[in-house]
Amino acid sequence: MRGNIINAVFDRMARDERVFFLTADMGINLVERIAQAYPDRFLNVGIAEQNLIGVSAGLCNAGYKPVAYTISNFLTHRCFEQIRNDIALHEYPIVLLGTSAGFDNAPLGPTHHIVDDWGAIAGIPGIDIYCPSSVPFAEPLIDRLLNAGRPAYVRIPKGEPAEPASTADIVYLPGARAHTLIATYGSPAQNALAVAAARDDVSVLVFNRLRPIEWEQIAQPLRDHETVIVVEDHFPEHGLYGALCRLCMEAGVYPRIRSLAPQGYNLTVGTSAAYYEAIYGIDVAGIEEGLRALEAAQLVRS
Amino acid sequence: MIATTANANANGARRRAIDMIFAGKASHLGTSMSLIEMLTAVYESIDVERIKRQDNARDRVIVSKGHGAAATYAVLAQFGLLDEATAATYHTNGTKLAGHVSHAVEAVEHSTGALGHGLPVATGIAIGLRSKKYTGSRAFVLLGDGELQEGSNWEALMLASHLKLSNLVVMIDNNRISSITTTSDVINMLPLAERFAGFGFEVYDVDGHDVAAIKAAIASIAAGTRPGVIVCNTVKGHGVPFAENQPIWHYRSLNKELYETAIAALAERE
Repeated sequence: MRGNIINAVFDRMARDERVFFLTADMGINLVERIAQAYPDRFLNVGIAEQNLIGVSAGLCNAGYKPVAYTISNFLTHRCFEQIRNDIALHEYPIVLLGTSAGFDNAPLGPTHHIVDDWGAIAGIPGIDIYCPSSVPFAEPLIDRLLNAGRPAYVRIPKGEPAEPASTADIVYLPGARAHTLIATYGSPAQNALAVAAARDDVSVLVFNRLRPIEWEQIAQPLRDHETVIVVEDHFPEHGLYGALCRLCMEAGVYPRIRSLAPQGYNLTVGTSAAYYEAIYGIDVAGIEEGLRALEAAQLVRS
Repeated sequence: MIATTANANANGARRRAIDMIFAGKASHLGTSMSLIEMLTAVYESIDVERIKRQDNARDRVIVSKGHGAAATYAVLAQFGLLDEATAATYHTNGTKLAGHVSHAVEAVEHSTGALGHGLPVATGIAIGLRSKKYTGSRAFVLLGDGELQEGSNWEALMLASHLKLSNLVVMIDNNRISSITTTSDVINMLPLAERFAGFGFEVYDVDGHDVAAIKAAIASIAAGTRPGVIVCNTVKGHGVPFAENQPIWHYRSLNKELYETAIAALAERE
């Protein structure tokens, strides 16, 4: 989806002279045409993520709307204090575009596994967080963010899935018989959709936006299901699992909530995301196994 | 020994900063005293009215060593960019004038306090001003010599040099004391001027308490084609004899007796 999003940035730059694109030396065969078409509003700051954010803040001060691009893990962790002080504290409307999510960079090792990015950013007030789960949501997103005038972080998974075919921040896909709800986002959403397609008692709630999440947007699905499984390629405590647990507690709605997610860093090499998804039970087989385990537990309890 | 040419703006700001630090029971006296003439030289070199109007083509001033807040606010007040009554609330309950420079104050471009942030931001501003074709508009950033130990500064210096940002003026408050000891004891970076020259900057090495000398360097950089660095050789605690070159005055606040001693010393100098 990064291609869809960068193309949207390119199109916006043609119409909006305030948009300034920055990269920390990433985006080969993708960002060059921005550099060629808009040399005064394109900058490769080099392999220097702290500077990427600081320079973006300075451009904002001078009246630009910066879009800062690099791999998600470098974009969030290396320059955390710059994001806190130079963006969030000043409420600068900078769009942070992070490529890759979860285990997209599988064999490159744990430094490149992106399993703790948005939870870290969520620790900073005032930054909206998105993880597009499909192309139909991703394509118009840049215009929305640049119009919103707020800081935003976009975690961009690999792939170009067509489903869900929706531009909604949160997409509810109810099953015929409401029993278990799978809450998910990003790449694992495709696994959840595949599981739901084969059963009539599973609903899916796909989050394209991870912050803010308004209770009203999710109240009905969470009230209508006895069990919720949160499937994500991010640590659960400060991920969607943690967010939903808090929201349910505050609302006094108490479904059983279970997490399927990575646990800790993994030094073992896998050649694709599927390898890790299987380990952590967030692939199709793992989610199905999770459902069976929940059903068995409920039988014991009842 | 640094010879200081009298400057009414600097003298007024120094007195005000000491008053603010005493009234607010604040620390960081040493750094505020070393910064006064640097800030005075900057604001005497730029169009203050453009800042008051928040004209987008205004010159920007970033005080990266945010603990120089008392000096910053005192100089802003001296140049009519902060009203005196507000300046007097420094470091007290309910004020917007925190102990580190805050953009809650309108004339402040950027909040600082964590070191190593100001230069990247100023670099971005310089890029933005150039991209918008605001010829003659400049970005000034004031850093401490100890602050140069933060690696983010060097990311920005490399980029600024590569882009030949001749509208960027980097000013180093070279008071040679960082937090708990002398900078040369921690990481010796002397001679500073040669390091910046090696990065491709136009470098000036001046008496940091001589407003006229600093202004001359600022004017020379404006006429050049490369980004400039002015190494301002200063004395931490300058003008307050008991605090000069004493690392502890990064932390201490003034009691009434010391405050009166400081004011008496200023009066004698003036």
